[in-house]
Amino acid sequence: MDSVSKYFSGLFTGIFSLLKGMSVTWKELWTPKVTQQYPENRDTLVISDRFRAELTMPHDENNEHACTACGICQMNCPNGTIVVTSQIIETEDGKKKKILDTHQWDLGMCTFCNLCVITCPSDAIKFENTFENAVFTRSKLVQKLNNEGSSLREKKKEVKPVEPKPVVEAKPVVEAPVTEAKPVVEKKVTEEVKPEEPKAEKE
Amino acid sequence: MILNYSQPLEITNLTGWLDSALRSSMSEFWVLLIEFVLVGALLLTAYAVIALILIYAERKITAFFQARYGPNRVGKWGLLQSVADMIKILLKEIVKINRSDRFLFFAAPFFMIAASMMTFGAIPFGKGLHAVDFNIGVLYVTAVSSLGIIGVLLAGWSSNNKYSMIGAMRSGAQFVSYELSAGFALMTIVVLAGTMQFSTMIEGQRFCWNIFNGHISSVIAFVIYLISGHAETNRGPFDLPEAESELTAGYHTEYSGLQFGFYYLAEYLNMFIIASIATTVFLGGFLPIQVQGWDAFNGIMSFIPTYVWFFGKTAVLIFLSLWVRWSFPRLRIDQLLNLEWKYLLPINLINIVLMVILVLTGLTLKDIFGIM
Amino acid sequence: MENIKKLILNTVASAVIEEKQKLTVTVAWDKLHLLAKTLRDNAALPFDVLVYLIGMDRGEELGVNYLLSSSTDLSKELVLKTGTTDRENPLLYSVTDLFETAHFNEREVYALLGIRFINNPDMRKFFLNADWNGFPLRKDYDANPELNPLSLESVDMIDIAPRVMEVDGKLVEETVNIFGDDDYIINIGPQHPSTHGVMHFRTALDGEIVKKIDVHSGYIHRGIEKLSEALTYPQILHFTDRLDYLSANINRHGLCLCVEKASEIEVPERAQYIRTIMDELNRMDSHLLAWACQTNDLGATTAFIYGMREREIILDIFDKTCGGRLIINQNVIGGVMFDIYPDFQKDVKSFIIYMREKLKEYDRFFSHNVIALGRMIGIGNLSKEDAISYAVTGPAGRASGWSNDLRKHTPYALYDKVDFKEVIRTEGDSYARYMNRLDEIEESLHIIEQLIDNIPEGDICAKVKPIIRIPEGEYYQGIEAAKGIFGVFIESRGDKFPYRLKFRSPSMALVSVMPLICKNEKVSDFIGIGGSMDYVIPDIDR
Repeated sequence: MDSVSKYFSGLFTGIFSLLKGMSVTWKELWTPKVTQQYPENRDTLVISDRFRAELTMPHDENNEHACTACGICQMNCPNGTIVVTSQIIETEDGKKKKILDTHQWDLGMCTFCNLCVITCPSDAIKFENTFENAVFTRSKLVQKLNNEGSSLREKKKEVKPVEPKPVVEAKPVVEAPVTEAKPVVEKKVTEEVKPEEPKAEKE
Repeated sequence: MILNYSQPLEITNLTGWLDSALRSSMSEFWVLLIEFVLVGALLLTAYAVIALILIYAERKITAFFQARYGPNRVGKWGLLQSVADMIKILLKEIVKINRSDRFLFFAAPFFMIAASMMTFGAIPFGKGLHAVDFNIGVLYVTAVSSLGIIGVLLAGWSSNNKYSMIGAMRSGAQFVSYELSAGFALMTIVVLAGTMQFSTMIEGQRFCWNIFNGHISSVIAFVIYLISGHAETNRGPFDLPEAESELTAGYHTEYSGLQFGFYYLAEYLNMFIIASIATTVFLGGFLPIQVQGWDAFNGIMSFIPTYVWFFGKTAVLIFLSLWVRWSFPRLRIDQLLNLEWKYLLPINLINIVLMVILVLTGLTLKDIFGIM
Repeated sequence: MENIKKLILNTVASAVIEEKQKLTVTVAWDKLHLLAKTLRDNAALPFDVLVYLIGMDRGEELGVNYLLSSSTDLSKELVLKTGTTDRENPLLYSVTDLFETAHFNEREVYALLGIRFINNPDMRKFFLNADWNGFPLRKDYDANPELNPLSLESVDMIDIAPRVMEVDGKLVEETVNIFGDDDYIINIGPQHPSTHGVMHFRTALDGEIVKKIDVHSGYIHRGIEKLSEALTYPQILHFTDRLDYLSANINRHGLCLCVEKASEIEVPERAQYIRTIMDELNRMDSHLLAWACQTNDLGATTAFIYGMREREIILDIFDKTCGGRLIINQNVIGGVMFDIYPDFQKDVKSFIIYMREKLKEYDRFFSHNVIALGRMIGIGNLSKEDAISYAVTGPAGRASGWSNDLRKHTPYALYDKVDFKEVIRTEGDSYARYMNRLDEIEESLHIIEQLIDNIPEGDICAKVKPIIRIPEGEYYQGIEAAKGIFGVFIESRGDKFPYRLKFRSPSMALVSVMPLICKNEKVSDFIGIGGSMDYVIPDIDR
């Protein structure tokens, strides 16, 4: 008789377990859904502040940025997403000075590892949570971060601490101006790095 | 007659008026021809419309089971989603597969759709909404609906695809097994009702539905019929022939465009057919809820048109089917066959004997309480 | 370990024993097999787990490093080294007969370094096609794309494996057919909904029964180890997230730990807390997805979405903390990149309450469902011996009764300070693996509960030199990722780039055991077993 009782107990526990499962879906049927109705909810949509969607270079009201064109972000980028071009100009008092020409960033290649931001000695770039970056052609993904006609912010006052920086306070600067994109593998330039204060901060 | 109360919205009024109008102006032959064509066209339209509604309903209900919203972009609440899908499927290219058996590959979906269409025609949707009323209705429905499996087997064989082949073979084993249970469950009720004709079967259920009339035995037959009907339609948890996580899409892997649409349509219609046969056989078909002696109540209930009753009851059963489908994991082939041959079939055989005893000894509810 | 040293010298007198980060034994190429066998069969402390097998181009010679560990105590480790100076036709002895996990690893070494292993039953290249020119991990590899042009032609699969066997003391080159002539072979993958990525199983079927499985991998092999040889350590970090992307943060923790230990960086306590909490959140994230995918593989689509629903909350917490959802870039060398946000504790605590409730719901919904039980109990049995031999770690290995949780064996971060159970089951079937994951979620919640209110104030990152150079030597760090032991091996030559970097991926062991446990199961169970093993393909195809 053991097999018979097993047969029936198996049948009934089986049916009972199925009904228990169905009670869970039944409950869910009446639970309000939480799916975000994007894009209808664009006005109320909350994207966390730290979300890394787009690399930007903040400019102040005078169209000035903090980038000294040192090229550290370019060197630290693991896959050559950033290309910094600079030029040497002569200031009024006859000093030679390197200024930023273009800071170019390729969204299509970026892995959002944040290395460029945490190694930037002058906090010139940061990630924004503006996430709607879809475009129709790849070439549009290559963006120039510095505004047209912008210039370097002169550090007259205290150096403004943007955020307490977690990691390395790395302040080395490449001696030679980095003017062209270097392939990833040839990043041995860092070997010749000499620690030196960025010129802007001396004044 | 079945209903003594007049109902202004009942379709019978319209059909009766049309029939007499035609007869007054034409000969018998032309009247019949026109009515055949009309009925055929109406059935085809109903077939497509019901499928579209079912697809929408399933997607929406499934979504709510799954913590989602479901289609909500095309039209208000996504109401036009299945129409949009239909247009898409009509426009898609029918891909020709290399090294497949072209003729069979092309013919297979028609078997599927023809079988479900033929069953669909024999369903009584409401008072006077019954295209063919055979005196062997139950037998006809069982016989014709099992033709669909030929379409599945042919599709699997002719696609020249190993996944399709496995899917079709699974489907064959599954269909043959469960057809047996479904048939026996219906036979149990045939014993109770004493008829195979749908119209007489419905008439007999006026005050006491078959599911109550045969109490224990009927309920068992009802549950078994739902399970095996569910299995026959190849829907989860019995969707082994498709098994998207194992066989990608099973027997219809290689189909595209309208040919795939046929399978898709037939799947939903089969679900509807199973639910409507269950309604007709067990739940009093299109009859409203009537209680003997409560004339006022019966009058109010009868005021609702019969087709509303029919679709309402069917919808409840379809919802049950969806609920089951989206709650359980898929069975394995041996579990599936175990369920049929070790549980359903033996229970069914005992049940049919029990029903015979109930009927012969007068232990049905009708006999006990003297209901008409 | 003194006994072990004696044992080694008794077995192979010429062995050179060095005390490095780990006890390192260098032996001649023909003595290695003997030594490995002796160590494995050593009754007092059996070295029966092959944790990693790394092919190396040491300059002059091509060699292999083996890390042996004991299944009873994973903190006991021992490195065996051997090599050959023949760069034209390098041959070493296979240890596949001792450790099954060596099979795939040796094939990988052959593909990437060109070392062939005598007596390996199947010496096809893993990851790469048979006609690939050159061996990528050799230092003299020519990466010229013209040597290996991109082919757009459809190529038939060749099921013939070359191998080198030793017969009566002579080496014989031969070929062997993987399948029989009449086998009904079906390709499950590389494009298949249930292989969890671009995995390719050539499967011979007998009706519904699986007769044999042949694993093809490498469809998304990216050469991360090769790429890493030209990048600095902080740059390599972002590759770890792209191995097993479901335990991205844990993998990253592993590499950070390895570099920190090698260059002796002290991690602040606050960072340790954050790391541990994030690791456990990540583990739950991975287990939830594993649960969801397994139920989906068994055909329960609804359960899949429930798993995703809970996982979303973890991802939101990640998003708010680190600005990333899947790949969160939280760990850096010396600490963490982002401090927790003000509401972090509140969010995590409410998640703990919510998740406990949902675990009960999972139990009601799926864990005791009669169909699910039939699909899992007694299916895909993996014995403890096989788990050890194939080095199957993580929840899958622990389901076979093998205690292998590195959080217990070699505690790192704060795992020695918190109280938690190592979840072990002995059945070894799909259901044990399934239940192990759910129980580990519970344990993770318990760990977080103990830490979340005690996060100390302080720095989140140690002061680290801008350019990190690791002193010369070989370093290995194992860490308990969600799917098993994830290991990082670095050989440094004092440079700021690693000389050789290797990731030990848990998923590779999980896949390598699939042909064994799926044999004679039904094809639908093969899919279900795959779900219960929970492998992630990018982890294999590094």
